Amino acid sequence: MKFSVNWLGDFAELPPGVDDLAELLTLAGTEIENIEKRGANFDKVVVAQIKASAQHPNADRLSVCQVDDGSGQPRQIVCGAKNYKVGDKVPLALPGAVLVGDLKIKPSNLRGVESQGMLCSPSELGLSEDSDGLLILSPEAKIGEPIASLFPEDTILDVEITPNRGDLLSHFGLAREIAALIGAATPSSRMVTDVDQPARGRAGSITISAPNACPFYSARRIENIKVGPSPDWVRARLESVGLRSINNIVDITNFVMLEIGQPLHAFDADKLTGAINVRMAKVGEKFLALDGKTYSLGEQDLVIADDARAVGIAGVMGGEDTGVTDSTKTLLLESAFFDPASVRRTARRLNLPSDASYRFERRVDPGMVLAASNRTAELMREIAGANPAAEIATSGALPASPPDVSLRYELCNEVIGISLPKERIEKILQAFGLEKASGNSAESSWRIPSHRFDLQRDVDLIEEVVRVFGIENIPGRDRSRFTPESEADRGHDFESRLRARLAGRGLAEVRTSKLISRQAAEFENAIELRNPLNEDHAALRRSFDLSLLDVLARNVLGGAQRVAIFEVGRVFIPPEGREERHLGILLWGNSAPTAHWHSDNRILDYFDLKGVIESVIPSAFFKRVERPDLVLAVEIWRDDERIGFAGQIVSERTKTIGPTHPVLFAELNVDSVAQLGSGQIFREIEKFPPITRDIAMIVPENLSHEKILSTIVGANEPLLASVELFDVFGGKQEQNFGAGKKSMAYALTYRDKTRTLTNEEITVVHAKIRERLQRELGVELRE
Amino acid sequence: MPHELEQLHDAALAEVAAAADEQTLEAARVRYLGRAGSISAWAERMKSLSKDEKPVVGKLLNEARTAVTAAIAAAAENLRAVKEARELANIDISLPGTASELGSLHPLTQMLDRSISIFRRMGFALAEGPDVETEWHCFDALNTAPDHPARNEQDTFYLPDGRLLRTHTSTVQIRTMEKAPPPIRVIAPGAAYRRDEVDATHSAQFHQIEGLYVDEKVSIGDLKGTLEFFLHELFGADTQVRFRPHYFPFTEPSFEIDVKSKALKGGEKWLEMCGCGMVHPAVFEQVNSARGDDAYDPEKWSGFAFGLGMDRLAMILFGIPDLRYFAANDLRFLRQFA
Repeated sequence: MKFSVNWLGDFAELPPGVDDLAELLTLAGTEIENIEKRGANFDKVVVAQIKASAQHPNADRLSVCQVDDGSGQPRQIVCGAKNYKVGDKVPLALPGAVLVGDLKIKPSNLRGVESQGMLCSPSELGLSEDSDGLLILSPEAKIGEPIASLFPEDTILDVEITPNRGDLLSHFGLAREIAALIGAATPSSRMVTDVDQPARGRAGSITISAPNACPFYSARRIENIKVGPSPDWVRARLESVGLRSINNIVDITNFVMLEIGQPLHAFDADKLTGAINVRMAKVGEKFLALDGKTYSLGEQDLVIADDARAVGIAGVMGGEDTGVTDSTKTLLLESAFFDPASVRRTARRLNLPSDASYRFERRVDPGMVLAASNRTAELMREIAGANPAAEIATSGALPASPPDVSLRYELCNEVIGISLPKERIEKILQAFGLEKASGNSAESSWRIPSHRFDLQRDVDLIEEVVRVFGIENIPGRDRSRFTPESEADRGHDFESRLRARLAGRGLAEVRTSKLISRQAAEFENAIELRNPLNEDHAALRRSFDLSLLDVLARNVLGGAQRVAIFEVGRVFIPPEGREERHLGILLWGNSAPTAHWHSDNRILDYFDLKGVIESVIPSAFFKRVERPDLVLAVEIWRDDERIGFAGQIVSERTKTIGPTHPVLFAELNVDSVAQLGSGQIFREIEKFPPITRDIAMIVPENLSHEKILSTIVGANEPLLASVELFDVFGGKQEQNFGAGKKSMAYALTYRDKTRTLTNEEITVVHAKIRERLQRELGVELRE
Repeated sequence: MPHELEQLHDAALAEVAAAADEQTLEAARVRYLGRAGSISAWAERMKSLSKDEKPVVGKLLNEARTAVTAAIAAAAENLRAVKEARELANIDISLPGTASELGSLHPLTQMLDRSISIFRRMGFALAEGPDVETEWHCFDALNTAPDHPARNEQDTFYLPDGRLLRTHTSTVQIRTMEKAPPPIRVIAPGAAYRRDEVDATHSAQFHQIEGLYVDEKVSIGDLKGTLEFFLHELFGADTQVRFRPHYFPFTEPSFEIDVKSKALKGGEKWLEMCGCGMVHPAVFEQVNSARGDDAYDPEKWSGFAFGLGMDRLAMILFGIPDLRYFAANDLRFLRQFA
């Protein structure tokens, strides 16, 4: 909310500088978001009256005005605005004036017509953002008077009021807070409400049919009003905090709301039929609001109704039919207390936030409901020449003051962390208007003022003490402790090792949104949100493939030659949304990021992907399967558990991405892998040298490495320590193998833990294995 | 007069010493030590020698063979070293080094890891909870009124079954206290979601570290000390830290923390970092009712809680101007943090 510093100064003595005030409030929990200097403190800008206006001879959009600037000499001004009529008083910038934005005013010639100055809009004078037309001054403004005397200099604070502090949503309320914070006397609400108290009566003219949603309602007839423009001081105040002046009646209700926080509504009494009834709307009841739109109401919406129809949505917006117009003669002025939750529901459901609903939602001060009515009536008498009724009709009862709250001084000191004397604590609470109801040396009970409904228990009072005492005066303390490792710690550390290893393999970690597009959700049958924000964030991912493909596409577009990425994170498995931690890997393009004189570069393939997986799960094994989304598909198994899948994505899904390299993708459930990897145990390093012998063979193309390996290992030779496949070449290049054949070469390493082996014994063992390969697989051994 | 074999010995050594390249050296080896070499020939001739001559010539032959073999080996090594030195002297050391495929960790991961390690040094363990939550864990248990605006469909993502995507990681406070009695010292890194339109500073999904400390007689001083230490560790000891009273339903008193440091981008201004406060007794009461016991008696236990926005922290620490870089995952961006 915007506050005028001048206006605040009407109620409380303020710190000397605006920056001091801003700091005081900010450090007490009411943050100042912006500070803006306002006011028309310009030299050579005066009140002028438009005496005549004629169409510019050479420009359709311009007019030529003759104005009286009080000097006795007529003055000619060319003007582009249309919102004035002859006789209006407007601000005139004379040659030599310098306006907002360093705009220097000089005599000029506009399309052949001389202009000796400029007529000003509110924005040109820095009074508001309004630049639609001239600022029309009130008829009382004195011609020739400096504009600065009408719009004194002011500072506007943009203040963030937290939702628990509805009592700060008025100038009086914020001034009361400032006074409490600096320990000054509480400003009296009588300053604004010390007017003739009307008698309360004629309750029968108001019915409250929904007492839960409307505990209290008051209405007051104000007769003989003259609708017209507001005096400049009212307009200046409203416009300074961003409200537009409408007419004196609307302006006064807004003024009182900004002054003391109570929203009011004025009905044209002559347009009401019968008595006021505050009731829930009927299902489907139609309502034409002041904004010109028709709303369809429901039985959860509270309305103000007369005998014929709803005339207002309670606390939200009045009706078009019963609003104040230029011809209104008699008002019915509403001041009420509506249930915050009820107003909030309706305002939100209708998407109709208003200054009134904003305050009712945050709970208005019951102590101000009637005072606001009085203050408004008084201003109407003063400004609009009106004649308020001597009595005010009321129905229902204002909510009781908040219950007393008790506070133990020791608890206060424990929470703050230092010891404050009892007197200090009490003085602070009293500054906020709390009264001590009872107490002893250990604790006391406090009466809470009607505007502080947020003070409900001891910790709320302690917060008030801290705000005034200043948290900067509380020293920070070291409260570190020994803490054992948790399950989540182990999970995190595993994940960190996983990430580090994959980054070590040259992969870049990505983090994609867990919210995926509706299109993607349909593809993978993911859980859709009930209320997505847009089509791009409509469901919860159940897999990484679409997200990583998306990252691939974007990077290819950005010119990447190599995309090697992974992501670790949660996915959501339908139907119940079970959360699993998955690892996704995607490889595409060149093995090296750029061509390099000293490195080979080739296109990444399935074996690169498999190597990455094996680097994080050494015991993984792979089974070929069929999947519609993969042209080459394998399942990844560990022991008896299937932990994921890998393969090459069908080109149908990747063809839009760009160059037609294979797109390799794997996804694994990391939760089931997380138990791996810890608990390494030392194994003695071999002390005796190994003997290595190779076996090269020509085999049918469809004979798998796995089969050959298991045949070698199946020989169960105790001296055989390891087998490495070191060469494979296929029949295509090597015509001499014959069609459908390939050559494979293995290095077999023999070793004994306790002695040096002899060539002779290894020759015997190696020959057995060669023979076994020949016998079992029919391979053709090469020398 | 020296024996003929001695002359041969000397000649061979001289020839080896004179060999200027590998071919000449190899020719010398073949000439003297090869199968038909002149030193090897003496082994044949031994057979025909007299009994007296045999030991003398045998000794000379051995000496010659050993010495020449050693000389050839030394000469070969010398030639190899000279050749290697010559080759290395000519390489262009300005050629680029072999490319290595450096991987990288996402800046948010790095930010989280850095933060976690600081809290671990203070004795916090990790905790976690689900992203998909019940309304009770996200709002009711955290003292948020049934009609609080945050619960609205305009601000919170709901699933068709009525559950929601947690709007803050504070849900893990409740999950942790449901499972374990006090004392509690945990941090919970994780994702949270709000129905915000995506722009330079807003995202529908963001990342937080939640903290919860519950013990006997925990004070605002403890909260302050803990978070001041964290921020000083993260941003440097000369960083100014300011606590500002604020409002959250689940803490009372509540604070926001601002920091100011010349080392940071925008360092002349206070930058908002963190929301925190003393755990509201109503939260303990809710937890007790869910547990069905009085483990978190607000008369006995107190605590503090905090939530740090990791995306914002990473933006400030790394000078990243737009939140959208994090989710775009452009490799040109990610590599900057390798």
